[in-house]
Amino acid sequence: MTQSIFERYGGFSVVSRVVSDFYRRVIDSPLVSDYFHGVDMRNLIDHQTKFIATLMGGPASYTNEHLARVHAHLGITDQAFNEITILMRETLEDFDFDQTDISSVHAEMMSRRPFIVFEPSTAGTT
Amino acid sequence: MTVEDGIIRQVVQSLSSAVAVADTISWELSFENALFFSWFESTDEHATADQRIPGFKADRASARMKENRPYGFDTVIEVRGRELPIRVEVRRLADSEEVALIECTDASKVQEIQYMLDSYSTLAERNARELQKERDRVEKLLLNIMPRAVFDELKDYGTATPQRFEEATILMLDFVGFTDMAVASDPSAIISELNDIFSSFDRIAETFGAERIKTIGDAYMAVSGVPEANPDHAANIARTALRIRRYLERRNAAHPQEWRARIGINTGPVIGSLVGVQRYVYDLFGPGVNLAARMETISDPMQITLNEATASLLEDDFVLSELGEFEIKGFGSQRLFRLESEIRSFRV
Repeated sequence: MTQSIFERYGGFSVVSRVVSDFYRRVIDSPLVSDYFHGVDMRNLIDHQTKFIATLMGGPASYTNEHLARVHAHLGITDQAFNEITILMRETLEDFDFDQTDISSVHAEMMSRRPFIVFEPSTAGTT
Repeated sequence: MTVEDGIIRQVVQSLSSAVAVADTISWELSFENALFFSWFESTDEHATADQRIPGFKADRASARMKENRPYGFDTVIEVRGRELPIRVEVRRLADSEEVALIECTDASKVQEIQYMLDSYSTLAERNARELQKERDRVEKLLLNIMPRAVFDELKDYGTATPQRFEEATILMLDFVGFTDMAVASDPSAIISELNDIFSSFDRIAETFGAERIKTIGDAYMAVSGVPEANPDHAANIARTALRIRRYLERRNAAHPQEWRARIGINTGPVIGSLVGVQRYVYDLFGPGVNLAARMETISDPMQITLNEATASLLEDDFVLSELGEFEIKGFGSQRLFRLESEIRSFRV
């Protein structure tokens, strides 16, 4: 059995650092920080820890239905989603993850785009 | 220098972060505050940011600055003989493409919390692994006393419903004169031998697609076609019976204690069910089982006896010899056969 990214990089110990760094970048980014106004930080960290663990093949899998439900009312744009994927890529780069692992996490995120982006009738995604 | 410049200078020098300004390509420093100077000491006054700050990747930093994206990482420095975890943040200063602000903060509090988290998560992960190991062990134990399909049903629904199997072949085995053997010789030695023999039977049954259902004293019961249907149930049991007999013959030739078995076989529908609440036993019921037991009782020592139900399924591939009509209690008149051997078809 091949190990998941989650296991190879040292399990929760590394994921928690990634989450913490990623969270800082998200809050600092003018493109997405507005989405987090008034959001309970404890909840957000809880979700991001589980979500990032999921992306890396760790425990606590989020179903797509669940993702759709929690993002539905946020009206997340393509631009905001892209910014998040870039921030994630940069975070993983700065943690010296392998390019192949970064790509695989990126692909995992992209596959969930339809359940997170809920921009009503704007330019299509290409 | 104006008064305001002087104040700003004092503020920057007394910040609790180490701050420096650097060129985004060469990473030469054009300014650094006192803390930066003391944290990243260097004998070379022209040392660049990547030479001063351990873990600083100049190429990556330059690429990020070009895109006006932040760059950040954690590192560790040594201050007065003590390790100090540092968070480094690099971003472009205002709109200038050429100048970057490097800000380094003491991350020891964060690090402490991180270590606590690590210690706790290691504990939790170990507990989870141990729990999983324990679960696997319980599963293995339960699989010893019930078939996998029944176990899965029990696990998912908390109960397993009795199931009828239309096509199954049952093997019943019993040792001739076991009670006398146990009394005459050393009982514990006899039981230990019996255990060896039954374990070998289990392996034989498994090899030929059959499964042991239970043992009662010196009686052994195996089945094929339960709980997964198997079109070869009769042949599987016939092969199992022949191998068991051969195993006993060989064993008897090599051991002082002789074990002679009667084997009965019957084919018919059976009900499989888990019995018991606290102490589970998976068992088979129905006339199919009873008739197999009658076949065993009527069998001669070291012979395998069966009736037409099984014989009709075996006659193409096995050598059978007819024993004639017998009156079987509860089942009327039955034509009985002896299973002699398997016909080996050699394909070229």
